[in-house]
Amino acid sequence: MEIRVFQIVVPLIALLFVISFITRYLKAKASIRETVFSIVFWLGIGIFAIIPDLISNFIASLFGIKSNINAIIFLSLGVLTYTQFRMYNLIKDQQLKLTELTRQLAIKEFENQEQV
Amino acid sequence: MIPLNDIYVLLPAYNEAGKIREVILGLQQEGLLNVVVIDDGSADDTVEQAKSLSDVRLVRHFVNRGAGAAIQTGIELARRNGWPHVALMDADGQHDPKDILQLQAKMSETKCDLVIGSRFMKKNEEIPKTRIVFNFIANRMTNLFCKKNYSDSQSGLRLLNRNAIENLNLQIDGFGFCSEMIIKAERAGLQIEETGISVRYTDYSIRKGQDFQMGINTAFNFLWNILFK
Repeated sequence: MEIRVFQIVVPLIALLFVISFITRYLKAKASIRETVFSIVFWLGIGIFAIIPDLISNFIASLFGIKSNINAIIFLSLGVLTYTQFRMYNLIKDQQLKLTELTRQLAIKEFENQEQV
Repeated sequence: MIPLNDIYVLLPAYNEAGKIREVILGLQQEGLLNVVVIDDGSADDTVEQAKSLSDVRLVRHFVNRGAGAAIQTGIELARRNGWPHVALMDADGQHDPKDILQLQAKMSETKCDLVIGSRFMKKNEEIPKTRIVFNFIANRMTNLFCKKNYSDSQSGLRLLNRNAIENLNLQIDGFGFCSEMIIKAERAGLQIEETGISVRYTDYSIRKGQDFQMGINTAFNFLWNILFK
């Protein structure tokens, strides 16, 4: 079997990310949910890079998609949609925190004024 | 009848320097003397205009966080300070201060917890067609999650009693708070009534209101909060 460059580089990058997420978790910089999701995601990418044809053909036959290229496109769309969903959720959470901070500062200032 | 002194009018204001004085004076003329302006990070001199009038309480958000955030601040202040009733009113001059008295009468008569001033229960020929369409869609979306059907889920003129003040915990920053308030009030078992109000649409208030893009964002935020939060 011919080994292409990306089959070495991508798994190495994936491994780096896995180690980095485990370290972040051990340093309490990431939640268990985020860590598990990220490890599964990067392990998936790593394994996919090692045996791309086998996985894409499997997905194609599983979903009845005619070619493995189409399967990769569908899979990529799924991953992108999910990451977009996660990013939107993250932004909304940050916005909520900013609103809460703004509101509490406003209330504090108001109550200080009322006391004077 | 609820005494007028027991009603605190919350005016969420964002860049309303051109109208805020007129709106406050209109309220004071009707005997509504407890006026609370919640400036939502205005870039113009809304704050100075509000400060120039006597007997006006002013709360300031340092950055713009949306109408829903301003209302949340107002309701939290009411909760902390024991205000018995709060009236919510837009600061762009589209509402007639006299209509708060209609809400007051409705609440006194029905003993309900929340009164919504409906622009569509009274003949209001001034309402632009785009607003009618927008409100129709918003009503349909809101009523999907409600037991009752509301004729004006987006109305900014409302009256809340102490029970509503204590039990409403809003989260939506933007205009989606209008629908969220109704849905959460129903879930909290609060009694909700509607009463007809008039509305004055001017170029200013139309310009200040939601456009198509904002409407889409509001709808998306509302659905996101209802489904995922």
